[in-house]
Amino acid sequence: MTRFVLKRMAFMLVTFWLVISVTFFLLRLAPGGPFDGERRMPPEVEANLLEAYNLDDPLHLQYARYLWDLLRFDLGPSIKHHDFSVSELIAAGLPVSLSVGAIALAIALAMGIPIGCIAAFRHNSWLDTCLSASTTFGLALPPIVTGPLFVLLFAVALRWLPAGGLDSASSLVLPSIALAIPLAAAIAKLMRGSCIDTLRQNHVLTARSKGISSFRLAIHHVLPGAMIPVLSFLGPAAATVIAGSLVIEEVFALPGLGRYFVQGALNRDYTLVMGGVVVYASLILLLNFLVDTLYFRFDPRIRAHGKSEAS
Amino acid sequence: MTHPSRLETVCQRSVAAIASTLLVASLLADQTSTLRIGSPGDPQTLDPHRYTLNVEEHILKDMFLGLTTMDAKGAIVPGSAESWEVSRDGLVWKFHLRDNSWSDGIPVTAEDFVYSFQRLLNPETAAPLAYFLYGIENAREVNGGTLSPSQLGVTAVDARTLEIRLEQPFPYFAERLFYPTGYPVPRHVIEEHGSDWIKPQNWVSNGPYSLKDWKPSQAVVLQPNLYFYDRDNVKIQSVEYVPVSDALAGYHRYLADELDVVGDFPAGEIVTLRKSHPEHLQLSPLLSTMYLVFNVSEPPFEDIRVRRALAMAIDREKLTQKVLRSDEIANESMVPPMVPNYQSLVGPNSPDSTLAKSLLEQAGFTEEEPLEITLRYFTGSENKQVHVAIAAMWQDIGVRTTLHHTELKVHFSDLHSGDFEVAQAGWFGENNPEHYVELLWSQIGSINYGRYSSSEFDELIEQAKDTVDQEGRAELLKRAESVALKDFPVVPLYSVTIRSLVNPRVGGWYTNPRNSHGVRYMTLK
Repeated sequence: MTRFVLKRMAFMLVTFWLVISVTFFLLRLAPGGPFDGERRMPPEVEANLLEAYNLDDPLHLQYARYLWDLLRFDLGPSIKHHDFSVSELIAAGLPVSLSVGAIALAIALAMGIPIGCIAAFRHNSWLDTCLSASTTFGLALPPIVTGPLFVLLFAVALRWLPAGGLDSASSLVLPSIALAIPLAAAIAKLMRGSCIDTLRQNHVLTARSKGISSFRLAIHHVLPGAMIPVLSFLGPAAATVIAGSLVIEEVFALPGLGRYFVQGALNRDYTLVMGGVVVYASLILLLNFLVDTLYFRFDPRIRAHGKSEAS
Repeated sequence: MTHPSRLETVCQRSVAAIASTLLVASLLADQTSTLRIGSPGDPQTLDPHRYTLNVEEHILKDMFLGLTTMDAKGAIVPGSAESWEVSRDGLVWKFHLRDNSWSDGIPVTAEDFVYSFQRLLNPETAAPLAYFLYGIENAREVNGGTLSPSQLGVTAVDARTLEIRLEQPFPYFAERLFYPTGYPVPRHVIEEHGSDWIKPQNWVSNGPYSLKDWKPSQAVVLQPNLYFYDRDNVKIQSVEYVPVSDALAGYHRYLADELDVVGDFPAGEIVTLRKSHPEHLQLSPLLSTMYLVFNVSEPPFEDIRVRRALAMAIDREKLTQKVLRSDEIANESMVPPMVPNYQSLVGPNSPDSTLAKSLLEQAGFTEEEPLEITLRYFTGSENKQVHVAIAAMWQDIGVRTTLHHTELKVHFSDLHSGDFEVAQAGWFGENNPEHYVELLWSQIGSINYGRYSSSEFDELIEQAKDTVDQEGRAELLKRAESVALKDFPVVPLYSVTIRSLVNPRVGGWYTNPRNSHGVRYMTLK
C-alpha cells in the first residue's frame, strides 16, 4: 500500500510540474499580450508596466521565478486585477466553485445511483427503456443549454429562483442542477451496466435463490460490487464538473473561480490563469489520487495485482 | 421539563411572525432604495490612476470629481474646479477650486491635485493611461523617468488655485480632464495605507459617493459621501454595480427584476423588446466610428484604384438598416456625426458598382484573374454579420474575399504590427474631431494601422495642433480629412449604438453620445 501511494504521489508531482510548465510557455506563445488593445501604449508606459510585473526579464528567468514563488505558495499579483493578488481572487472564487461543484456531484450521485439500480433490477422492462432513454437525453444536455433554459423558466417566467449572481444560497440551486444533469446521466448509465453484471454473479444468484428481498439484495450484495466502476468515475467526474463550472459561472454570473479563469485567459492575465491552472490541476490530481487509493483499498483484484507487482 | 402553555406558544409565534415581517419589510425597503446597475464585467481596479476599462470609468465617476465633469446629459461642466481661465497662447490653464471635501471630511486642495498628477505620471505608478495627459509640460519625460515628478508642469498657486502648463495649445483639455486619469487621489490616505488605500475600510474619495464594499465578481457597493459639496441633491442612498460579463445573463437578470439598468444585451432581442418593453429600451448613438482600414504598404492596396473600388462597392445604409438594425448611423466621415461644430467636407457618395468594377479592371483585375483579399475582423456575432455583408458586396464587383476573425486582443495586436490586408477597426471616445482625424497622421504611431502617409495631410494636422481657437482648428481638420479620404486609406462605415435597458422606476437617466450616466443625477421611484 505504501509503495503504491508513494508511486502515485511521485507521478502526481511530475504531472503537476508538466501541466504548470506547459501552461506557462503556451500562455506566452499565445498571440497578443496583457497590455494590447486598440491603442498601442507609448514606449514609456509599456516599459513601466513591463517592469512593474517583471515581464521585461528573459522568459527562462520569469519561469524560474514563477516556480520559486510557487514553492513558497506565492501566486503573485494579478496583471489585470490590480487591486488583488491572485491568491486573494482564488480565495474569493474557489469556495463558490467548490460549493456548486460539490452540490452538483451530490445531486448527480443521489440521482444517478438509484436510477441505474432500478433500471438494472427491471432490466428489459418498459421502466428500464424509459430510464435508459432519459439518461441518454440527459447526457446530451450540456449546462450551456440547460443553464439559460432554466433561467428563462424558473427565474424569468416563474420567478421562483434568482437568475444569477450570489445573493443567497438559493442562487446555487439552478447552476448546480444544470451542472448535475449530464453527470447524473453518466453515473446512471454506468451504474445500470455495472448492476446488471453484478446481478449475474454467483453470490447474488445464491442470495436471490434463498428468497432475500430485492431491497436487501441491492443494498448488501449488489451495490458494494457495482459501486466500484462509479468510484473510479469520480475522478473524471470532478474534471467534468470543473470544465462545466467554467461555463455555468458565466451563464449564472456566479463569482466563482471559473469566471476569473475565462476572463484571465481572454485578458492574457498570465498570473491569474496560472493560478487557476495550479488550483484546477491540484484538485483533479488530488481527486484522482484519492479515487485510485480508495479503488486500491476496495477492489481486491487491484490489491492482488499490486502485491504480485511488488513481489 | 415543562411544556409551554397554548398562550405562550401563540405569543412566541406572533413575535416570530412580526419579526420576520419586519425583516422582510426592511429587506424590501433596502432593495427599493438601492440602484442595481449591471456592468459588462468586473472592474480590474478602483485606483483611478491605474484604470483602463470603460467599466471602471463608469464606477469611478460616481466616486471622484475631477476638475471638470459631465452633467446628466453628458455635457462638460465644472467639477472640482468652479471656473477656469486659459492664457491667450492656450498654454496655461488656471483652475479655481470649489469648496469641497474628501469623504473623511478633510478639504480638497490644489496640492492634492498636484500630488495626483505627479503620481499618475510617476513611472513607479505604472499607469497604463498616463499618456492621456502627455500634453502637460514635461509629462512624457517624467513618465519616462528622465525628469523627476516635481518637474511636471502642474503647480498649486494657493490652496484653491491650480495652474497647469501645456506643451502645445489643446483647446479640448477640459474634456481630457474628466477621465479618471485626471481625478485627485487622497494623499493622506495613500501615505498611510500604501497600495491598500483602495480597500473599502480605508477608502476616501471626493465625489458624490464613496466605496462601501467591493466583493470581486459580485458587486461594488457605493454609499453617499456625506461631505460632498452638492450632497443635498444626491438622492439615491445605495448603488450596486453588479458585473455581468455575459450579455445574455445580464439580460435575464434584468427581466427577472434583479437589475435596474443593464448596459448591454443581445442585439437579436431588440425586435422583441420594442414590443414587450418599449418604455425600458434605450438606444443612443455613441461617439464612435467603425471603419475598414487598408494596409497601404502592401500590394495590391498601395494602388488607390483598388482601395477606391472596394470603398465604392460598400452600401453603408444597407449595413446599418438591413444588417445591424439597431439605429446605427451610417457615416462617410471619420468624425462621428454628433461631434459639434464639425461639418465634414467628405461625401455624400452613393455606392457605385459600375465605377468600382471599371477601377478594378484598370488596376488589372478581371473575371478570369479576380482580386483575392482577406478581410479581418474581431470575433462577435454582429461583427460577423457586418463583414459577411461587406464580403457579399465585394463579391458583386468580382472580388473574392476570405473572412478571417480572431479574438479582440489578437486582432489589434496584428493591426499594430501591420499584419493584415483589410481589417475592421474602431475608435471611441472624445467629443472633438481631432481625436478621430489624427488617426491617419503619419506621426501618431501604430494606431495608423494601415501606415498611411501624406505630406499634405500631415502638414494640415500639424498646423491644426498649433492653432489655439477651436473654430480655426476644426477648419484645418476638415481640410486634412478631405485630403486623406480622397486617398481612401480607410472606409468609414458607421457610428455604433449603445443599447441599454432602464427600468422606468429610475428617473434622471438620459441617453447621450458619451453614454455617461452619473448616479448623482438619478432618482428612484
